[in-house]
Amino acid sequence: MPSGLIPFPFHLFSFHHPSLSRNPSHTDLRGEQREIMLSVLALTSVVLLGIASQTTAIVVYTSWERHALVGTDVRLSCSFFSWQWTSPDVTFSWHYRPDGAKEAISIFHYAGGIPYVDTKGPFRDRMEFVGNPSRRDGSILLKNVDFADNGTFTCDAKNPPDIAGSPSHVRLFVFEKVPVQAGVITGAIIGVVLGLLILIVAIYYLMRFLVARRVFSLSMSKHGRKGKGKEGSQQKQALAVTDPAKLKAAASEKKKQESRREKK
Amino acid sequence: MLILLAAIFLLHIACICLLLAATIHNAWWMTDTMSTDIWSRWILTPAGNWNYTDIPALYPKEYLQAVQASSVLACIFCILGLFVFVAQLYTLPKGKRFLFTGAFQLLAWLCIMIAASIYTEIFHKDKDPGWYGASFILAWISVCLTFISCITYFVLRKKTA
Repeated sequence: MPSGLIPFPFHLFSFHHPSLSRNPSHTDLRGEQREIMLSVLALTSVVLLGIASQTTAIVVYTSWERHALVGTDVRLSCSFFSWQWTSPDVTFSWHYRPDGAKEAISIFHYAGGIPYVDTKGPFRDRMEFVGNPSRRDGSILLKNVDFADNGTFTCDAKNPPDIAGSPSHVRLFVFEKVPVQAGVITGAIIGVVLGLLILIVAIYYLMRFLVARRVFSLSMSKHGRKGKGKEGSQQKQALAVTDPAKLKAAASEKKKQESRREKK
Repeated sequence: MLILLAAIFLLHIACICLLLAATIHNAWWMTDTMSTDIWSRWILTPAGNWNYTDIPALYPKEYLQAVQASSVLACIFCILGLFVFVAQLYTLPKGKRFLFTGAFQLLAWLCIMIAASIYTEIFHKDKDPGWYGASFILAWISVCLTFISCITYFVLRKKTA
C-alpha cells in the first residue's frame, strides 16, 4: 500500500443514524439519502486519488518569462506538485543556457537539506537561495542582473520516490527601460471610461429615486393632515409654492411639444 | 413613420458594422506586402503566405494603445446604444425624445473621432511608402455616420406608430 494515501476518517461516517429509530418523516428520509450520496462520493474520490497517485508524475512550475531592468534583483520562482508527501530527500537544480548558446550549465543544486550555490560560473557571488523546500519552493534570487544574463533558466525538482517528470523553463529578459506591456494602457482607458459611465448612470438614478421619495413623503404627510384646519392650510401653502413651479415647467414643455408637433 | 424607424435602425446597425470592421480588421495602413495596425501586422512572404507578426517596437506605444482603447469604446457605446434604442422605443412616453440613445451615440462619435484623429496625426508622418487602408477609411466614415445618427436621435420624437 503506498505511503502517500490520506488515512480515511471512517469514524465520521456512521450508518447508525439517530433518525432511523424515530418515525421516518419525509425530511428525515431526504437527509438520509443525502448522507448516503455524500459518503459514496467521498469513497469514489478517495479511490480515484489512490489510483491517480500511481500514474501521474511530478509537475514543476515556474514563470513563463521574467522581465527585469538592468541592475535590479530578479527572483526566479520554482515550485512543484507531487502526489507524494514532501520527502526529506527532495532536490532542486537550476541550469542556465545563455541566449544563442547550445549547452546549458548547472548553476544551483539543493540536496540533502543543503543548498549549493554556484561559486565558479557566471553567477558567483550574485545568487542566493530564497526557497523553502519543505513548502515545495525552490526559488533563487539573482542580484544585479546584466544584459549578459539574458537566457533560459531551467528548474528541475525531484521528490523521491516521485522522480519522473519534465523540468520547466523560464526566460529572462533584461531591459534598459521596461517597455509598456501590450494592452495595459488600452485596458486602463476602457476600464476607466466604462466605470465612469456606470457611476454617472447610477448617480443619476439614485438622485431621481431620492427626489421621488421626498415628493412621495411630502404628499403622504399632506394627506395625513387633511382634516386639521390651520396646519392643513399651512401644508397646502408649502406645497402650493413647490407645485406651481413644477406645473409651470410641465405646462411650458407641453406647449413647446405641441408647437413643434404642429410645425412638423 | 415605420419606414423612418426602420431607416434609423438600419443606420445604427450600419454604424456598428463599420465600427467593428474598422476596429477588428488590421488594415489602417497598407503597402504592397504589408497590412498593419492597430492590433498587429500582416506581412506577405515571398512564398505567397501572409504572416501574422507583432507591430514593431518603434511605434509610439502609448498612442497606439490609446487608438485601440477608443475604437473599442466606440464599438461598445454604439452596440449599447442599439439596445437602449430598442428599450426606449417601448418605454418612452409619447412626445419625448430619444435622449439616452443619442447620448450613447454621441459618446461613440467622440471615441471614434479621437481614435481616427490620433491615428491620422501621430502615425506614418515620415513619408513611409504605402497608403491608408480600408479600416482607416471606414473609421472616418463611421465618424460621419455616428454623428448623423446622434443628431437624428436628439431631434426625433416618439409618436404612436
